[in-house]
Amino acid sequence: MYLTLRNISKRFGTVSALNDVTLAIDDGELVCFLGPSGCGKTTLLRVIAGLELPDAGDVMQDGVSLLGVPARLRNFGIVFQSYSLFPNMTVARNIGYGLECRKWPKAAIAPRIDEVLALVHLRDQADKFPHQLSGGQQQRVALARALAPKPTVLLLDEPLSALDAKVRDELRAEIKDLQTALGVTTVMVTHDQHEAMEMADRIVVMNAGIIEQVGGPIDLYDRPVNRFVAEFIGRMNLVRQSTARLPATEGQVDDAAYIGIRPEHIELVDADSDRSDALLGRVEKCVFLGSFTRITLNVDDRKLLLELRGRRTDLVNGSTLAIRIPADAIHRLQDAAP
Amino acid sequence: MTAQTVAAPRRAVKLDSDCWSVVALAAAVTLPLLVFVVAPLFELLKLSFVTPDGIGLGNYITYARSAKFGRVVGNSIAVAATTTVITVVVGYAFAYAMQRTAMPFKRTLGAIALMPLFAPSLVQALGIVFLFGRNGLVNRTFGLSIDIYGFAGIVIADVLYSLPHAYLILSAALAVADARLYESAQVLGATRARIFRDITLPSTKYGVLSATFVVFTIVITDFGNPMVIGGDYNVLATEIYNQVSGQGNFRMGAVIGVLLLVPAAIAVVAEKWIMRRHHATISERSQPLVIVREPWRDRIGLAFASLACAMIAAIVLVVVVASFVTLWPYNLHVSLRHYRFEVQNGLQPLWTSIGVSLTAAAIGVVVTITGACVARRVRNAAGQALYFLSILPAAVPGMVLGLGYILVFNNPTNPLEFLYGTLLILALCNVYHYHAQGFLIATTSVNQISRVFDEASTSLGGSYLRTLRSVILPIIAPSIVSVGVFYFVRSMVTLSAVIFLVTPATQVAAVSVLLLDDAGNVNQAAAFSVCIMLVVALALVAFRIVLRVSGRGDVPLIR
Repeated sequence: MYLTLRNISKRFGTVSALNDVTLAIDDGELVCFLGPSGCGKTTLLRVIAGLELPDAGDVMQDGVSLLGVPARLRNFGIVFQSYSLFPNMTVARNIGYGLECRKWPKAAIAPRIDEVLALVHLRDQADKFPHQLSGGQQQRVALARALAPKPTVLLLDEPLSALDAKVRDELRAEIKDLQTALGVTTVMVTHDQHEAMEMADRIVVMNAGIIEQVGGPIDLYDRPVNRFVAEFIGRMNLVRQSTARLPATEGQVDDAAYIGIRPEHIELVDADSDRSDALLGRVEKCVFLGSFTRITLNVDDRKLLLELRGRRTDLVNGSTLAIRIPADAIHRLQDAAP
Repeated sequence: MTAQTVAAPRRAVKLDSDCWSVVALAAAVTLPLLVFVVAPLFELLKLSFVTPDGIGLGNYITYARSAKFGRVVGNSIAVAATTTVITVVVGYAFAYAMQRTAMPFKRTLGAIALMPLFAPSLVQALGIVFLFGRNGLVNRTFGLSIDIYGFAGIVIADVLYSLPHAYLILSAALAVADARLYESAQVLGATRARIFRDITLPSTKYGVLSATFVVFTIVITDFGNPMVIGGDYNVLATEIYNQVSGQGNFRMGAVIGVLLLVPAAIAVVAEKWIMRRHHATISERSQPLVIVREPWRDRIGLAFASLACAMIAAIVLVVVVASFVTLWPYNLHVSLRHYRFEVQNGLQPLWTSIGVSLTAAAIGVVVTITGACVARRVRNAAGQALYFLSILPAAVPGMVLGLGYILVFNNPTNPLEFLYGTLLILALCNVYHYHAQGFLIATTSVNQISRVFDEASTSLGGSYLRTLRSVILPIIAPSIVSVGVFYFVRSMVTLSAVIFLVTPATQVAAVSVLLLDDAGNVNQAAAFSVCIMLVVALALVAFRIVLRVSGRGDVPLIR
């Protein structure tokens, strides 16, 4: 493994930000740390960068411990949320800064600045100052500045969350393409599941200072190991196992605390059919969301969400709907990490 | 329809009465500013331009031709420039140690650094004379003949005198920092020195410029220290005094006053302009910089800050010690004889000072708070004019204002002539001498009140005066105390403006110190200084207790 985090713990006063975190990151992959605010994802990124020292544990690159290496000698690139460009320097000087600090030969600096500016499509902005640029342009420059010294690891700390939705979408694709093209090992922190799903090779779902699950986007969606992951990625109907009397679960008792069903996996059946696994529910809410319609259904005083493709003008509040839950749509979930 | 026609005039009347109260308040603050700031300046300028042959530059040309001119102006600029460079560098290092290291004892060191603000403005020179003067401790003990009088002495005294001002400004500049910039530079491989050069310095450049101009103004207008330790080395501020008090030459005094006014005014205008630009560049979304322990850096910071504080404290301490010994430095036996004050009305000037300071505090609070409220309400050219008038005194050196007061009020045709020679004119002189600073403290806190409160009060039917009385004043009550404390302390220690206005019957304590020192009675001068510092310290403690008892312990008394 290229980058290894071994049993990392970090406390801030009485708050435990990271609790015995272990993780291995491959060369060239893009890993997302995903979780709610305060879950420790940013702290973990800062530990990798060398901006925080862990209380316990080790960070290794290519089998060599980084603990004794200060941030400025690690040659990692970092992009913060926003406002991290030096306001007193032009775009070109900002980008050249890391090269000067790392003692690149003078003759090599200008071409490299030009090269990374071209990568982020900002060659015509080289002589502007940060405050003359839009938010999206500033983040592109920040990315160029981080990439200029050819870092061995690129660290992105919520780089898109301060931007408008449209710019965010553009930049997501751009960063991912750039990362793939350059093949630079990248760690990105985000609280936006869509961002993680779109960009990451692997997602590390974190909560309260621990890793809940690591896996590819599809893995996490299809096989969440517990309730937290299931609810954090996508939507999931959850029913306590002890109270569940859904036909599909009958006769299968195990130690899982919950069973979960994705809203889009619930199927409609003909209301008149006398299938034994059909359930009847009353429509309580119906929201049209473009490519699909989200319905809140009341089944035996329990709310179920279901999502149906396209627009359903035929459903009104109070109408009755018959559904079935396929056995293969059922997830068995623990309460917390095993 | 009928209801509307009935309602309309009533609303107009309501608006009118509110308008009138604003206009009345505006007049109530503007008129005194015209009388006590503009008129003295005008009289001074007039006198400097009036010659026997009519209005012109004749007086200036005469003075410029005199042998003294080049020397005095050169001296002033040399002292001010040298002191400014040293003070800003030392102040920056001190503020850096306070804000950017994790050294211990920060509260104590910070408090010591502010001590010069609470001592009469010649204590530094007095202390240095006790240590390094002709009959000072060092020369007497080691049989040396260090000559401290003149340039070197003034520079050392003024560095110590102006250091707290530089420290406060630079400390505020260094207190705000965006952690992301520092972390970006660190990750990009910048060394500590590079980060300082490329991030810390550029992000505090406005603070540095502001401190430079403020210190320059303080030093070039300082009167007390050059008077005590200058010897034959004349600067503009002491030259005015010599011309006016020594030779009764008001015209030349006025000419020199204008020469002193120009650099001070330029520095103040430049400083205001810089600070306005500065505010536009602070981003509200920055991440605070967390200072972590770094043993070596913290040790160096502590060593430097302790050294600076030791010097500041030593000067004050030596004055205190000298006041309690029989005859410094020959006979160091403890004695209270200097506290008998057997000359010059005994201790009366101290009581006079306290009376004047309390009066100045009371008037100053009313004047500046009202001014700030009016300036907040009147958002047009008139409001801006009021704002300008209110901060104009910052550019007027005390010696210039004091001389202007003589010209205006020692004039039988002036209906306010009765003020001349009273305690009231001393208080008023202090109020308007320090009007800019008091007004800015008041403005800052008044402007922090959301306009929603005004609008809510108005929409509920409250008049302007009622809104002021029941909403704004209660909210800013703690700042009112701050303004009062500021005026009390300044009035206790100031020397430059009142030096021209005191009479034997209305002599104030700081002037007594100067006269005692001038008469060679240095030990009694020290004793009088100690009394002033004691009163200031007791007043600060008393205000602190009052604030704490009333549940407002968080209000800063020093700004």
